[in-house]
Amino acid sequence: MTAPLSGRRVLIVEDESLVAMLLETILEDMGCTPVGPAANIDDGLRLAVEETPLDAALLDVNVAGRQVFPVAEALKARGVPFIFSTGYGESGLPDVWRGQPTIQKPFTEAAVRDALMAAMGVSRG
Amino acid sequence: MRELSKTGGLPVDLASAFDASPNPYVLVTPDLRIAGLNQAYLDVTSSTRETTIGRPLFAAFDSGPGAEAPENVRQVRASLEKARDTRQPDHLAVVKFAISRPGPNGDALFEDRFWSATHTPILDEAGEVVFLLQHTTDITELQRLRAMTAGMEGANAVDLLGGAVLGRAQAVQEDNQRLQTERNQLVEMFMQAPGFVTILSGPQHVFQMHNPAYAQLIGHRVIAGKPIREALPELTGQGFYELLDTVYETGEPHEGRASRVQLQRSPEGPLETVYLNFIYQPIRDASGKVAGIFVQGHDVTDTIVAAERQKLMIDELNHRVKNTLATVQSIAMQTARSHADPKTFAEGFQARLLALSHTHDLLTRSHWEGADLRAILQHETEAHGPQRISLNGQPVALGAAAALSLGMILHELATNAAKYGALSGPEGRVLIDWAVADQTNPVMHLTWREIDGPPVVEPTRRGFGSRLIERNVRHDLAGEVKLEYATSGFTAEFMVPLDREKSE
Repeated sequence: MTAPLSGRRVLIVEDESLVAMLLETILEDMGCTPVGPAANIDDGLRLAVEETPLDAALLDVNVAGRQVFPVAEALKARGVPFIFSTGYGESGLPDVWRGQPTIQKPFTEAAVRDALMAAMGVSRG
Repeated sequence: MRELSKTGGLPVDLASAFDASPNPYVLVTPDLRIAGLNQAYLDVTSSTRETTIGRPLFAAFDSGPGAEAPENVRQVRASLEKARDTRQPDHLAVVKFAISRPGPNGDALFEDRFWSATHTPILDEAGEVVFLLQHTTDITELQRLRAMTAGMEGANAVDLLGGAVLGRAQAVQEDNQRLQTERNQLVEMFMQAPGFVTILSGPQHVFQMHNPAYAQLIGHRVIAGKPIREALPELTGQGFYELLDTVYETGEPHEGRASRVQLQRSPEGPLETVYLNFIYQPIRDASGKVAGIFVQGHDVTDTIVAAERQKLMIDELNHRVKNTLATVQSIAMQTARSHADPKTFAEGFQARLLALSHTHDLLTRSHWEGADLRAILQHETEAHGPQRISLNGQPVALGAAAALSLGMILHELATNAAKYGALSGPEGRVLIDWAVADQTNPVMHLTWREIDGPPVVEPTRRGFGSRLIERNVRHDLAGEVKLEYATSGFTAEFMVPLDREKSE
């Protein structure tokens, strides 16, 4: 089950440490290596631009009062797939980001895994 | 007529007077049957009492076979019914009604004639209508003369009018005055309406009149007589000129709901955004062609702004609730991993939940403005007795996010002290000291020092509690923490910047 994502490096941008810890635990259980977690946009942007290799990212939409979209832009420019995590649901995303894979808080391990596999185009070999 | 003379009790025989009058009269019952006619009426209509009394008025006189007959009958009937129903005289200044006269071969010939008529209700003592009196004057000659002299100056048709027609004209004038009064009342209502009202005329939408509510909406500018594009130039590009053009061209009304409009509401002032509910209603002239537009509506800006604010609040509430649920989910998952026994899991999980909940209570008390550090410390340590806890420091106002983080952190410290640290032995105490350094860029320095407890052994594995503390301070508070497991007692030192308050 977890083998397909083994060794993947996944950036976490999430300002709540407990939620970030949860994501780290879920990622580690799937064999991924968490990158970050970044607690603010500036750190997230730096990691999104500089971190190599980077296979995917989980982006909280509202990070310490700012929106995460600059980080999403940077990842998009690099071709790194990413998933939004939000408590707002689909309606919380501006039109330009609609359709992007999104997980809604609170999330299950399965939801995180499925979204990551879909974003990275990994099948359940 | 005998009835009239009896009740009148007059010395003159009214019936004879009625019959002798050169003016044609007919008396009808409320259901419009003929009750009596005078000689003049019989003469002018070439009829007899025998063939008319008791018959429905419009069976006896039906305006002939002409195409206009039904309309002529309708007008006279309407006037009679109005007089009956309102118990007020009603006047028909001019009405066309054909009457028959015997032709050369004894057959009936119909002749178009013009009449001026007054219908007067005759009431009994109880005020009920018992009869309607029709007084008619043949004004056919006058009509012909008017047709002949149409366009000629100096023609004085009034000279030809008899006194009855003049009186009727006066009555019509009184009607007009009454209408004028009604119109004035309507204008008054128009002007006092709480909603805005304006009337635009012509294809250029020229302001004809507007009420004070409209004047207020547009900042009391002078607009009367101006086309809208000139009067309210800031509407360019907002779609309203085009809507008015469409209503004018198609004759279809347009209703706007919560339409966003940018208007200049004070001279030289900035454009202000208002939201309006309004209707553009075409006004048609007598021929049915659109001649103008009636604009009516009201300002719903306050409602819209309140709804937007409420939506923002609901979104924010949803965001916080979902984040809190994710936090609780994390606590549950991490707590489960360090407790194999469901019973101790439940205890640990509940205690953490209650710590979170209590900080929420403190924040709610201050409308989520923040909480005082000492209040949080007291709550997290009170279970162990005040004599075992020393709190020493100045009041520190924490923002909402910092309060939530510190509530969790202090709960973990107190739990660890009770389970493994100084508070697990009978003599142990905890000394908590704090101070805020550098007021321009304030940093709180807090130490948690455990003394007189059992000898401390550094844990071989870091539990969720200590990981939570370290992560929370660095991640959520952007601060520093140092945990030291000295044999004499556990110590935690915190450096927390206070000037950064997260918005969530």
